[in-house]
Amino acid sequence: MVAPAVLVVATLRLWPLLLGVNYSFTGDGARDGVPVGLDNYAELFDDPLFRTALENVGLLVLLLPVAVAVPGMLATFIFLRVPGHRLFRSVYFFPAVLSPVIVGAIFNLLLAFDGPLNSLLEKAGIGAVDWLGDPDVAMFTVVGVHVWATFGMALVVFLAGFSTLDTTLLDAARVDGASLARVIRHVIVPGLSRTIQFVFVTTMIGMLTSMFGLLYVMTSGGPEGSTYLPEYYIWIQQGQMNRPALASAASTVLFLIMLVVGLAQIGLLRRAGREN
Amino acid sequence: MRVPRRRRWVVAVPMAALALATVYPLVFTANVAMKSRRDYILDRFSPADSLRWENIATAWTSVGLGRYFVNSVVVVASAVALLLLIGSMAGFALSHLRFRGSRALFLCFLAALFVPFQVVMVPLAQVMADTGLIDTYPGLILAYVAQFLPFSIFLMTSYYSGIPREIVDAARVDGNTLYGVYRRIMLPIGRPALLSVGILNALFCWNDVLISLLMMPSAEHRTLMVGVTSLRGQYSDDIPTFASGVLIAALPVLVIYLFFQRQIADGITAGATKG
Repeated sequence: MVAPAVLVVATLRLWPLLLGVNYSFTGDGARDGVPVGLDNYAELFDDPLFRTALENVGLLVLLLPVAVAVPGMLATFIFLRVPGHRLFRSVYFFPAVLSPVIVGAIFNLLLAFDGPLNSLLEKAGIGAVDWLGDPDVAMFTVVGVHVWATFGMALVVFLAGFSTLDTTLLDAARVDGASLARVIRHVIVPGLSRTIQFVFVTTMIGMLTSMFGLLYVMTSGGPEGSTYLPEYYIWIQQGQMNRPALASAASTVLFLIMLVVGLAQIGLLRRAGREN
Repeated sequence: MRVPRRRRWVVAVPMAALALATVYPLVFTANVAMKSRRDYILDRFSPADSLRWENIATAWTSVGLGRYFVNSVVVVASAVALLLLIGSMAGFALSHLRFRGSRALFLCFLAALFVPFQVVMVPLAQVMADTGLIDTYPGLILAYVAQFLPFSIFLMTSYYSGIPREIVDAARVDGNTLYGVYRRIMLPIGRPALLSVGILNALFCWNDVLISLLMMPSAEHRTLMVGVTSLRGQYSDDIPTFASGVLIAALPVLVIYLFFQRQIADGITAGATKG
């Protein structure tokens, strides 16, 4: 009964994982298959494109609290039944089912230099912004679009967490006359610590692994390589440059980043939970 | 507990604005898809004066999205069928048949869930090339099955774990083989979970671009999402046709969302909270 599943997962997921780590220590092109030690890793960290990709990962980590707090607040208000909460729930969630390619194409249209958003900005006297063409702006634009497309996913997870919250605590706080802000701080946040931890980790993983479609459609890594992420770098090295060994080294680095980010977040949040 | 009456509207108004910001980009795109090129240049925001289905027809035929659409349907349908079959069999085995190493095996599948495609894609492409499966439908279908199987197994196992062992034991006593129990009992009982798993996998596969870009390099094998990405360069001066293409790719997803919203949200949260 499990044999087909074992066969698929072992040959097409776990075996390639090992194969990839092994590839990353061999050469490309003329040195195909020859062991080269850490050469690929040295080349990787010398490559300004890969360094930009890593810097962008740092940027994502900095923006992460925003990407978690926004759906968290919205979920709180939906849970507290603001008028229209049912409608908000399904409207907010819907972009989460769209493909990043569709989302990217829609925003290409909206954010084009001569596009509708800029024509509005110009009418308002603010002046056009080169959303996708300015190296200092483009990465923020793409991350913003990613958050627009995915906050509904985190919201739904938060709402599932709320359904496990002990409502008698909420009622007790209410009877004691606690303000909304205090209830959020002292009842809701500690009660949801496991959910918050989970959303932190999955949002970060989402940022590291599901922005490919957006990057591919919206910026292709540009302008001036400013919107590279490790996943996009892997694709370029494998699909365009024909450097599978170098791409494998980048994959291995991405895997390590994800491992470290995941473990660090769990550790941090566990410590924060203990202090409460 | 509720938000105090006076403050409710202070919260609800910005939330409504955000809801508008969530829906508007798609409404805008749909409107542009129905406009003439001239109208779009003159005024981007005015409502289309008539429904110009010819934009959709252009995107479908002359851009070739129709063909890519069919490719996507074939690949997604096969992948989902396989995922349901293999996933439910494994879910049944892992939840009800206690065999040596079943716990370890479950943990292995769980670990595979956390290995993203980007990490295995280079060697996977190599394996597919070595076996002659690259750029073929079976190759792409297998890649999808491999990618989404751990998630499917996980959901099926947690669903089947809630079903009493006595049902299986009784069916065995009645003389059913293992496969008989699976076919006559587990498949029918598992329908709600199979629906969730099927819909989610259909969305994942339909929306994917990276896996299909890597596994299907040649133009005539393209899936719809890859086809949409190639629209940008070709139709940069014909925005309504471009918007029509986007609409064609988004429409099936929107329809599925309208009908199965609950199953989609439940499937995602089941994956989240039971982990």
